[in-house]
Amino acid sequence: MSACPPYAPFFGLGGVAASMVLSTVGAAFGTSKAGIGIAGLGQFKPELIMKSLIPVVMSGIIAVYGLVVSVLIAGALRPTDYSLYAGFVHLGAGLACGFTGLAAGYAIGYVGDSCVRAYVYESKVFVTMVLILIFGEVLGLYGLIVALIMNSRATEAPSCM
Amino acid sequence: MSEQVVASKLTAQAAAQGNALIKLLVFSLALAIVPISSYFLSRDYVWGGNTTWAAFTAAGSAQLILVAFIVVSVLEDQRERSEVEATKAKKSH
Repeated sequence: MSACPPYAPFFGLGGVAASMVLSTVGAAFGTSKAGIGIAGLGQFKPELIMKSLIPVVMSGIIAVYGLVVSVLIAGALRPTDYSLYAGFVHLGAGLACGFTGLAAGYAIGYVGDSCVRAYVYESKVFVTMVLILIFGEVLGLYGLIVALIMNSRATEAPSCM
Repeated sequence: MSEQVVASKLTAQAAAQGNALIKLLVFSLALAIVPISSYFLSRDYVWGGNTTWAAFTAAGSAQLILVAFIVVSVLEDQRERSEVEATKAKKSH
């Protein structure tokens, strides 16, 4: 059993895909759920639409986290001289970023929807909405940080004979 | 007389919509282009090939775009509210 089997890039590429796909699912859910609330708000108070687009921008940033981790891992992949350890590290990094992005997008979607609907009636909800959305956003940021820390360990991989 | 009021309201609405559309386009393009380009540019020219710091730079630039969007939307809301109050004060005189 060698340290660099030929199927090792499978796991690395799985990490690239997982990071992008799962964080995009989270961002899509957040965008669509918040968009439903904004469409409801826009019927009554169209002047509040610009401020109520903040959940949509935050969902976009979740997808940016997934994109950055995907590009980061894909830049380290090689067809040969790629150890199984590095493949597992990259898979773990991609899964960490992807699933936390899914969670963050889920939170941003529900919070954005409810808070923009409440913003029609009470303008002081705006600051509360931004605070709760920031707390939901940092869930994706924690996944990004863990993915970056894991990826930096992939260079410690054993050299292939 | 009321037709002119309606026409002026429509042109004001169209102008506001055009202005808001341009702002949204700018922010969408910024969110699409700035993080990934800052990753590659900072990796090659700032951090000397270190990909971890370049990824932190990209995430930080995305956060800066979010902060800029929040600031722009709050300022636009304040400006619109002061305009509405100014027209109300004019009408009451």
